Amino acid sequence: MGLYVLTYVCALVFVLAMGLRIRRQIALPVHVRWELYPVRHETAERVAYGGSYLEALNWWERPDERSVWNELKYMAPEILLMRGLWKDNRRLWWVSFPFHFGLYLMTATFGLLLLHALLALVGSQDLAEGHPLGRLLDVLIVLAGWTGLILGNIGCLGLFHRRLADPELRDYASFADYLNLGFIFLFFLCAFAAGLGDPSLAGARAYALGLLTAGSAPAASVPGPSAAGIATVVMASLLAAYIPLTHMSHMLMKYFFYHNVKWDDAPNRRGGKIEAAVRKNLGLRPTWQAWHVGADGRKSWREIAASEPGEMK
Amino acid sequence: MRTRLAPTDISRPSDCLSHIEAEDLAPLPPPYEDFNTTAIPPLKPEKVRHIETSLDDTVALGIPKPASPEEEEALVRQFLSGLKKLFEKENNWTFLQPLLLSMEHCAKCQTCADACPVFEMSGRKEIYRPIFRAEVLRRIYKKYLRPGGKITAKLTGDIDLNWTAIARLAELSYRCTLCRRCAAACPIGVDNGLIAHEIRKLFSQEMGIAPKELHEKGTVQHLQVGSSTGMKPPGAKDSLEFIQEEMEEITGYKVDIPWDVEGADILLIHNAGEILAWPDNVGAFAVIFQAAGVSWTLSSEAAGYDVVNYGLWYDDVQFSRVAVRHADIARRLKVKKIVIGECGHAHKALTVVADRLLTGDLNIPRESALVTLADIVLSGKLRLDPRRNDFPVTLHDPCNIVRSMGIVAPQRRILKKIAPRFREMTPHGVENYCCGGGSGFAIMSGHNFVDWRNRVSSRKKFLQILAAFANEPAEVPKYVCAPCSNCKGAIRDLIRYYHAEERSRLYYGGLVDLIVNAMADMKKPIIRFGDEPSWKA
Repeated sequence: MGLYVLTYVCALVFVLAMGLRIRRQIALPVHVRWELYPVRHETAERVAYGGSYLEALNWWERPDERSVWNELKYMAPEILLMRGLWKDNRRLWWVSFPFHFGLYLMTATFGLLLLHALLALVGSQDLAEGHPLGRLLDVLIVLAGWTGLILGNIGCLGLFHRRLADPELRDYASFADYLNLGFIFLFFLCAFAAGLGDPSLAGARAYALGLLTAGSAPAASVPGPSAAGIATVVMASLLAAYIPLTHMSHMLMKYFFYHNVKWDDAPNRRGGKIEAAVRKNLGLRPTWQAWHVGADGRKSWREIAASEPGEMK
Repeated sequence: MRTRLAPTDISRPSDCLSHIEAEDLAPLPPPYEDFNTTAIPPLKPEKVRHIETSLDDTVALGIPKPASPEEEEALVRQFLSGLKKLFEKENNWTFLQPLLLSMEHCAKCQTCADACPVFEMSGRKEIYRPIFRAEVLRRIYKKYLRPGGKITAKLTGDIDLNWTAIARLAELSYRCTLCRRCAAACPIGVDNGLIAHEIRKLFSQEMGIAPKELHEKGTVQHLQVGSSTGMKPPGAKDSLEFIQEEMEEITGYKVDIPWDVEGADILLIHNAGEILAWPDNVGAFAVIFQAAGVSWTLSSEAAGYDVVNYGLWYDDVQFSRVAVRHADIARRLKVKKIVIGECGHAHKALTVVADRLLTGDLNIPRESALVTLADIVLSGKLRLDPRRNDFPVTLHDPCNIVRSMGIVAPQRRILKKIAPRFREMTPHGVENYCCGGGSGFAIMSGHNFVDWRNRVSSRKKFLQILAAFANEPAEVPKYVCAPCSNCKGAIRDLIRYYHAEERSRLYYGGLVDLIVNAMADMKKPIIRFGDEPSWKA
């Protein structure tokens, strides 16, 4: 039961910490535009060379032509295959891709395990012996799990090697960077060791069932946990709680990087939501101390922007 | 002994943290090899005795040395106070989210390093590495502003904070052209250019430290007299009268330049530097607009004839003041739109960045002149003879127009119509390289900064230009089209510095010059290669 509690608590920490990070981003004031082209929700023709709606004569009279599909076409290979790194930093891609894809596959495996457990709980016939869906799920769990484990371990070793051998990376790496990598490597190693003793990942299936039933389902204890299995559960749980507390949360924060900065090209239209947010910002009262700013904590941005610099007074 | 510099070295006392040796720089091809062995002229000791010069072999800011340890401590406290404000919405709503994201999520993968032309051309000098200055700021922020930072610094990356580090960081923020190639390459989206921008802002808005070319002679003079060139409204009108006469003499085509026409469709605002340094450009706009029958006007009000906004590079408050001034002039003239002349940073400042600053009736539509011109050229409103531009032409893409605004195609559509020997640089468009004069460098000229710019930050552009014309004989005149005043200034300086007119017959100019040069109604060419006209009447 202790292991289940640990996983529940860590999952809660993950959700809360990630939720807080997301909430913090959403609560930040609307900032000035700082987009970078290509902006991927542009039309396919413009995306091809990095063009924007600002290329059109009287662009403000034209309809909005943004395309979510174009955005997805770019983001899917960027997230899954790390296309940007492949293009701009190929040497690192060879170790970074297996590392990240290994993590994705482990997350997918966990999802499949939960689905398997859910179907078992609802007594689905799909899991009955010989049923194609049940067999498919079993194969997918094993395939995703083992591929993820192998890629993850290779990726961790490769990243360790690059960070230690390449002075450009080594000189900027801190203890925390090695700790983060070591933490993930330890998880992959434990999971690999557990997998060696249980190649079909039956223990993982049992643990997933236990997670959904707080360990009360009889099948949750068959087979019993191995030492490596316990270590895997501990490491995976702690890792889930740890990631949102570090810069590794970029896995989710990347959404804000792209949608709120790099691709945020939404024009400010009179009477619109952006204008309302800007008006609110202009009411804020800065306290910058340089003489030319003329801020005293009482004057608003609006008043300061309409005033003359200190040198002129 | 370790010879590579690390971020912690920024606070280590020394006369010069990193020297720039001629042999470290990326080599130039023939006939420019002589520049591969000559060093940047050293700073003159008698002129830099009282200013901070301990970063590299040049100076952009010239910060006075503190007179006492007490003054140093006070400056350190002031720096920390400014740093704190960068992370407060009251003080920095303008860039808070982009800054927070970039400060917290860098994976230090160094993908940005290969994208940076300054780093590459310097021979990969560590201090110019895009994440070097970002990492210094990040460590100071985490150690001195985050709760428990002094303890966690041992884990996340330590740094000592002293006046030496701060003075070097200030200078270092002016070794990045803010071209944002690094941000475009970052797989996560971290923007080291933005961090350099925020460091500049901290120094300006909290400590009153900024290059005099950008502040006193830049935004302050702009707001005070009407232009960062120092040109007052009567001076602007006189100059335009002169340009009007000149254009008639040069092209045999009579133009009328309209002033302060209320209700005109277009308020055209030039970079006033064009009026002084490249009057043909201003005249060419007048010729094109008149020939196309456009309803347009210039403004003679202070700041209304100078679209620059140097605040974009170092100070949000000054930026806001200039942008509001521009919009207010357009509002009172009741024009339908503002068209921004060939000035890259003004494009981005007024069209994109100020978009989240101007509200209500100040939010007048703004359009790039490249778009307006493309419409005129492609609609057949002008009689054009492209054979008049029968010389090799390449196009420089201003970062602020392409990478920051996505205006890539209109200028190419024009060139394809009027320049039969046009060829692209490699790379181009949104992957272009900065001219090296970005973020104010083109107008900063103190001490030996111009040498540094020509040798380091503009070097990649020079190599690109040479490569674009590599298959042309040396004696053939070649035209670098740069539709941006600052880029044009940087390219002009490059050509002069490397004697490229004499050695490679390189010339430069804007896009409108090429359009007018191809207009069939012109009696004489507007473009000349030295004494030689570009076409014969």
